[in-house]
Amino acid sequence: MERSEVQSPQGETARILVEFLEVAVTSIVFLKEVYPAGAFERRRYMNVVVQRARHPELREYIHSAVNGLLPFIQKGQVERVAVIFFNADNIPVERYIFKLMFNQSYGSKVEEGELEFSLRSFLTKLLVSQSLSKVLPNGCRWEITAYFRSLPQVDTSKDAEFWIPTNTQQWQQPPLITPIKSMNSDPLNVQLYLEHPSFSETKS
Amino acid sequence: MSSGSSRSANSGQKLKRSFNSIQSNSTNNSNTSVNNNKKNKKSNQKTLGVAWGSNSLSSSRSSFRNSPFSDFGSYMVEKNRKLQNQFDAEASSSSYSASTSGRPIFQGVSIFVDGFTVPSSQELRGYMLKYGGRFENYFSRHRVTHIICSNLPDSKIKNLRSFSGGLPVVKPAWVLDSVAANKLLSWVPYQLDQLANNQPKLSYFFALKRCHFSEDASIPTFYQAKPETVDSSLNNGSSKNADLSEQGGSVQHEWQIRVEIEDPVVAVMNEKMTEQQSSFTGKSCEVDTLEPSNADAEIESCVKDELQSRTHEPSPSISSYCVENRDMKGSMSSKKSHSTLGDPNFVENYFKSSRLHFIGTWRHRYRKRFPSCSEFKCTSSSLKVPSDAQRTAIFHVDMDCFFVSVIIRNHPELQDKPVAICHSDSVKGTAEISSANYPARDYGVKAGMFVRDAKALCPHLVICPYNFEAYEEVADQFYNILHKHCTRVQAVSCDEAFLDVTYLEVEDPEILASKIRKEIFETTGCTASTGIAGNMLMARLATRTAKPNGQCYIPPQRVDDYLHHLPIKALPGIGHVLEEKLRKQNIRTCGQLRMISKDSLQKDFGVKTGEMLWNYSRGIDNRQVGLIQESKSIGAEVNWGVRFRDLKDSHHFLLNLCKEVSLRLQGCGVQGRNFTLKVPVATDDVEVLQRITKQLFGSFHFDVKDIRGIGLQVSKLENADPNKQGIERNTLKSWLTSTSASTEEKSNISRMSEGGTDAIQLSVQMDLNLSTGQDSLNQVSAVPPLCDLDVGVIENLPPELFSELNGIYGGKLFDLITKNRDKSDNISSYSSNPPHELEGALNEGRGSLFSELVNLNEELVAMKAQQCAVEEVPAVPVLGAGLFNEAIPNLVRDKIDLMPSSLSQVDTSVLQQLPEPLRADILELLPAHRRQAFSSNATLGPSENLQESMGTKIPENPAGSIDAVGNNNLWVGNPPLWVDKFKASNFLILNMLADIYHKYGSTGNLSQILQHTVSVTVHPPDASSDGWDEAIDNLCELLRQYIKLNIEVDIEEIYVCFRLLRRIMAKSEFFLEVYNTVIPYLQTSVGQNYGGRMHVTS
Repeated sequence: MERSEVQSPQGETARILVEFLEVAVTSIVFLKEVYPAGAFERRRYMNVVVQRARHPELREYIHSAVNGLLPFIQKGQVERVAVIFFNADNIPVERYIFKLMFNQSYGSKVEEGELEFSLRSFLTKLLVSQSLSKVLPNGCRWEITAYFRSLPQVDTSKDAEFWIPTNTQQWQQPPLITPIKSMNSDPLNVQLYLEHPSFSETKS
Repeated sequence: MSSGSSRSANSGQKLKRSFNSIQSNSTNNSNTSVNNNKKNKKSNQKTLGVAWGSNSLSSSRSSFRNSPFSDFGSYMVEKNRKLQNQFDAEASSSSYSASTSGRPIFQGVSIFVDGFTVPSSQELRGYMLKYGGRFENYFSRHRVTHIICSNLPDSKIKNLRSFSGGLPVVKPAWVLDSVAANKLLSWVPYQLDQLANNQPKLSYFFALKRCHFSEDASIPTFYQAKPETVDSSLNNGSSKNADLSEQGGSVQHEWQIRVEIEDPVVAVMNEKMTEQQSSFTGKSCEVDTLEPSNADAEIESCVKDELQSRTHEPSPSISSYCVENRDMKGSMSSKKSHSTLGDPNFVENYFKSSRLHFIGTWRHRYRKRFPSCSEFKCTSSSLKVPSDAQRTAIFHVDMDCFFVSVIIRNHPELQDKPVAICHSDSVKGTAEISSANYPARDYGVKAGMFVRDAKALCPHLVICPYNFEAYEEVADQFYNILHKHCTRVQAVSCDEAFLDVTYLEVEDPEILASKIRKEIFETTGCTASTGIAGNMLMARLATRTAKPNGQCYIPPQRVDDYLHHLPIKALPGIGHVLEEKLRKQNIRTCGQLRMISKDSLQKDFGVKTGEMLWNYSRGIDNRQVGLIQESKSIGAEVNWGVRFRDLKDSHHFLLNLCKEVSLRLQGCGVQGRNFTLKVPVATDDVEVLQRITKQLFGSFHFDVKDIRGIGLQVSKLENADPNKQGIERNTLKSWLTSTSASTEEKSNISRMSEGGTDAIQLSVQMDLNLSTGQDSLNQVSAVPPLCDLDVGVIENLPPELFSELNGIYGGKLFDLITKNRDKSDNISSYSSNPPHELEGALNEGRGSLFSELVNLNEELVAMKAQQCAVEEVPAVPVLGAGLFNEAIPNLVRDKIDLMPSSLSQVDTSVLQQLPEPLRADILELLPAHRRQAFSSNATLGPSENLQESMGTKIPENPAGSIDAVGNNNLWVGNPPLWVDKFKASNFLILNMLADIYHKYGSTGNLSQILQHTVSVTVHPPDASSDGWDEAIDNLCELLRQYIKLNIEVDIEEIYVCFRLLRRIMAKSEFFLEVYNTVIPYLQTSVGQNYGGRMHVTS
């Protein structure tokens, strides 16, 4: 799909998206049971029961990381946002990928309600997707990684400081993809899928 | 049965019994009764709730074993009867009534003693014997009037209703005090502490009910002592009430007297002492002659005492006098009209004594008084542009504790005393205080508090009744002054207003404010406080600081400081709930609130509230003075004291209620066309609820005895214009003119209003249906038959009405129109079945889009035909394939089946002939990038376009066209091309897929079709059968195109499809082959787009 970077940023949509990402990432971390269930509290977001991190640092990490993406999402630079779980050997075992497509040329005003409606189904699906994922081994860690279409220029925005260029660890074989949910509500297209190392890799 | 023997048995045991517990007593009694009454096995006396309490059970069991009674119930009936006779005999025996000259103060009272009491239950029984009451050994809702106990276990408190049957639960002190006072005291103050907040006023009804009951029971004496005059006052002399018990009677005595007194009491407040004195004595004389009985004499003497004390020491006694009278008035109003049963003018009186009613209707009076002003204000404020925010000056003028100060302004001696306003009450009562002055507030007395609690906080609190005339007078004076100084006045309430003095351009607003305040004080004798600030919010907050009797100016530069430490609770619009929520986020002051972004506020509290919080915490308030909120609905509601005996009562009541509402409507000068009748029914029983609900919705024949309140509300108000005749017609007409300025033929309008009315009615019924799920009450008879409808009218109906009507007719309406159009328009003939499809689409809820078109259908007829043609042969390239390919995914996703998928398919000549607004609408409906297509197209000129459109209209053979279009567009169109192709195919499975599409898959999702395919049993054709390879190719191509279409935007859909395929292929070799053929393509696509392989599991 063609995408022009020139058009005025859809701040509103980006804001909603970022907020949604924050909730979704928290939900994923909750679902993966990285932390004890007590570390989360039930909240309501867009009328869906979601979890919110209790620990201020965890909350802050997710919040700042995702919010740091806001300027880039607005410009349509972010291609994917990944929540990667590593095992104790620092090898990724599972990756939740949010593939974002942000139609910058979308002219008319975004119907927030419509967007929320789509995102809500997203969260609902996410919450029941636990069976698709694998049980994490002990001693794992996780991080949020964003894939950019192009490396951003040195940015003036303060939020961007949180993000540092990095090399991602790749599996040797192309991963197995399990789609969880796709959402296509102009101007936003979000797809969430799981990446697991392919079978051959796990055996070796 | 021999009463003598039982009496002797009783007297023989008298000594013993007084020491024994109730249990032994009842055992004795039961023994005697059993012995004496074996022959009276059957009794026609019915007793409900026979056994109550463990003691009765144990005693009964022992006797039951050797008794010949058929069952426990009949035994208890007999036993109760015996006990009663015993009691009666005892009461009439010399030992009690004769010796101690006890007045029958407890007449009609029947107590039941529960648990341990001081004095003991036997002593209480003694009192009852002595003073004409009754004593029940076993609880029965029908015989007992009061339950006496000192303490209740927790379980009984929780289940009070089932325990007490709604009867008053009273402390034994009530009996003792009544005996001591030699009259029946109100039990209310003696109510068991644990239940204190029970509704005490219900007592009256129970007392009354009890009296009727006691008719049946044989109560020997004293009734004839009843003065008849009393009854006539309340119950129109119905003979039944001659039997009223002492309690009911005394209530009415009191009332009678107080009614007499009432007027002078009011007079006392305002008039001179001497005048009033004389009138008072006169009244009391009347009282004297009217009621010669003992109790009345007492009251009368107390009135006289009061009077005397007043004459002797006039000034200091006022407060106490007020209290006294108020007491009486209070107890009166708590006991008097009480119900729709007793008072034929109940509705009127109800509203007469309601403060809320006063406040609520005050605005209408105000409007009437200052009509020109309010008009002017509205226009002026709408014209006014808030040019210079710095210089605007808004006053918020608020009278200091209005309801109190108006009352005490003529009583300087009360000025510094704590005074509260309350519609009634005795010192110990449970009426709510509605307003308290500042001295009282210092004690912690607040509005909404029970008088009893307030008295506890401040024992010398003076309680005054309302004086609505005085309030009205003061409010009028208040507004006269305000209007004198300033023309921009917005009335908030009778004692509160906003002034916009900006236009006066006063040098110092504070001087003006103090001038106004001084004048208010001099005229009304009441003080007012004023807040001055740049907007209404700040002015109101400033008043808060200014109070009492002060003024406060918050200049714009001080707003921030002022707000910073202001607790959020102080902001208008923040109530308990919101405050609680904010406090959870650790926000207590506006300063803290300001730290939160508007977005997150809106997220947490909703858009409006969030914005309000954000603005208010910064002192921003864009409201204009003078913008009076129009009432959206007007209603009157009575939910206290409503009691009906029969349907007639309720009709009478409803009539009165209607009068009241109509008065209010007229007062506001509006009419309404939506009526809501509210009937709260007091019940907790699911069955009763269901029954009532059913009846209510069915035929409105509900059980009037269960109704506990009735409200009639009129909403959707609009200005009543005398020029226009009927409500419905006039509204519809005005509505129509506002919606579509088009076609208004005179003849149509009348028809239209008919149809419109029906629609309104029907929508109401539809609502009912929705809420109850009952179809039975849908009065379809109200709908005119389909054939009677004027198609022209229907087509001109506004979209909302149309879709509603269409729903009512089950979609047939639409059919009708389509047919009609079919007939009328010969431009094109539909070769396929577009009406059917369109109807389906309409039923799917996209009707509004269509009905918009229908609304202007005449111009659109040609265009509709066009559309249909387009749907059939969608892929004919007009402007080139490039444009099409772009449009394809959009088409699939947008699903605007009712519009042409691209403007290229619209006949531009038609479009250009459309009226401007319609054209704009249509263009709006098409996605943005197509607009250019149109504009470029439009430049081509009409003739060329016409040709083009002709080209599109040429009915082509679908199968042929597919080949021409090529392989790229199987998913184009609606229905997509493949459907037709597959249908035409001679391969069974492909046919099946096409069928499934027609049946279910109109959304265009493959997954949906596959889903249904899974459930269909596929008859596996032979691999060698005809067209096997071709069919596989076709299906694979379809899948490939689908993948291509969706790989970027919706892998979920693809994933679902392939999982379904895997499931199907387990059953079908055909699908297995298809799957195996396509999967490499899928994985490549996924690899290209996502850098991995799709993990497809079935």
